[in-house]
Amino acid sequence: MVLEATMICIDNSEWMRNGDYAPSRFQAQADAVNLICGAKTQSNPENTVGVLTMAGKGVRVLVTPTSDLGKILACMHGLEIGGEMNLAAGIQVAQLALKHRQNKKQQQRIIVFAGSPVMHDKKALEMIGKKLKKNSVALDIVNFGEDDEGKTEKLEALLAAVNNNDTSHIVHVPAGPTALSDVLISTPIFTGDGEGGSGFAASAAAAAAGGVSGFEFGVDPNLDPELALALRVSMEEERARQEAAAKQAAEEASKEEKGGEEQDATMTERASEGASEADNKKIEIADDDDTSLQQALAMSMDEPTSSQDLQDTEMSDAAAEDPELALALQLSVQDSTKDSSSQADVSKLLADQSFVSSILASLPGVDPNDPSVKEVLASMQNQSEPQQKQDEDKAPKKEEEK
Amino acid sequence: MSAAESATAIQRNQVDLLDFIDWSGVECLNQSSSHSLSNALKQGYREDEGLNLESDADEQLLIYIPFTQVIKLHSIVVMGSEEDGPKTVKLFANREHMGFSNVSDFPPSDTAVLSPDNLKGKPVVLKYVKFQNVRSLTIFIEDNQSGSEITKVQKIALYGSTVETTDMKGLKKIEDH
Repeated sequence: MVLEATMICIDNSEWMRNGDYAPSRFQAQADAVNLICGAKTQSNPENTVGVLTMAGKGVRVLVTPTSDLGKILACMHGLEIGGEMNLAAGIQVAQLALKHRQNKKQQQRIIVFAGSPVMHDKKALEMIGKKLKKNSVALDIVNFGEDDEGKTEKLEALLAAVNNNDTSHIVHVPAGPTALSDVLISTPIFTGDGEGGSGFAASAAAAAAGGVSGFEFGVDPNLDPELALALRVSMEEERARQEAAAKQAAEEASKEEKGGEEQDATMTERASEGASEADNKKIEIADDDDTSLQQALAMSMDEPTSSQDLQDTEMSDAAAEDPELALALQLSVQDSTKDSSSQADVSKLLADQSFVSSILASLPGVDPNDPSVKEVLASMQNQSEPQQKQDEDKAPKKEEEK
Repeated sequence: MSAAESATAIQRNQVDLLDFIDWSGVECLNQSSSHSLSNALKQGYREDEGLNLESDADEQLLIYIPFTQVIKLHSIVVMGSEEDGPKTVKLFANREHMGFSNVSDFPPSDTAVLSPDNLKGKPVVLKYVKFQNVRSLTIFIEDNQSGSEITKVQKIALYGSTVETTDMKGLKKIEDH
């Protein structure tokens, strides 16, 4: 979703008559240009794209950067093939066109289709590259068509001079059955450095591959763009939220080293904040694989002595009531993961009576023979409501240190 | 640093304009990505001698600094090393979005040629009359002391005053005396 102004430099020299890319090199180029324009405008509606030709009588700007896709497609009609490509002039004119873009906040990018032999020498190209880098212009090169001596080398040198932090790319497209546009779809030129544009690219790829209706979310972006956009945005938001939640759960699992009890208290306290919130947290705990839970269990087994040093907080009081807390945690995890097969292992683990009692035995201040503990263990078998557990947590504040 | 301090102390109402920089609009052309403008401008980073702003493709740098309010610019401090520190520095007031191609299109509001003293911290006093109403400042570093490929700037500090502020400490509540 980067805000970008792009200038596409088309090669309409005589070499483009060749038919080694179906139907002709020029037509393949035109298709690719159409796709790129679409992708750029879709990934961010404020993006602008312009087009210029490098061969013919001289470098000619067909369209200055605009977000109007129709204008761009229209100017591709009636283009004539002829002359020789002037790469240096083309890039410099593109740079000038970008300099005078209306929205100065847009990042500058030039996409060059280099189909014919490159006349300039490496030094000159490197100078141009440096100038582009100095003015923070990114450059994408599509190397196709003629492959004469040193062309690839020169273009690689140009790329190396421009490249700043991998914002510039080069793609070599050999002649063959696959169309130029199809090859380009999977490249970073299309996917915009690996973010945003994947929605369009995915749908375009599906359509190109002859898939039936490979649209993301089952909604055709052409029929209902707002809906498609809204779905995509909410999907990304959800993903981001889940990632943040998972990260938070992982952090909390690994942060405290004072003792697993406090860890359990933290997790359970979170669970007891409210039903809906508890659901969210349960899902977080569930989603975080078994690792954080295992870590908590492992920690509580490893550091039984450190609980003595907990501060005077309610949490420490609560932490002293480990069995109930631990069980509440387990129950909440159990409840949320009843349906999830991947969590079956955890449930089984917790349901394993002997495992639980061995944990409890290792916790300080807990006597497995304590009637309250036994009662709780029994009720766990019956899978009592998590709310009951929460009430039990809040009510008793008794000291259990023995 | 007493020389620098006394120079700024002379004009007591000149403050460090760091607080008035609009960070969202700050730009620097031709900076190296690992040694960026924050190393020279931001509090803490600019004091650190190990952190510099470095140029990338060649020795020139173009820094654009917008301000959150209108200020008057009195002097600047540009610190760097003796060999790679900047030499010729041109300042443009209120020119938006300049590029390297149009730096020579109009005359700068002021030009400073930095001496080794300046590079150690002595402020350069500017033509105050040219900087009375500054919304944004463009600093063009044209070359460096030794002519090397990379210019390194350790610190850039701007001193001046704001235009429309009232000094609240100076206001005294009218009481019944």
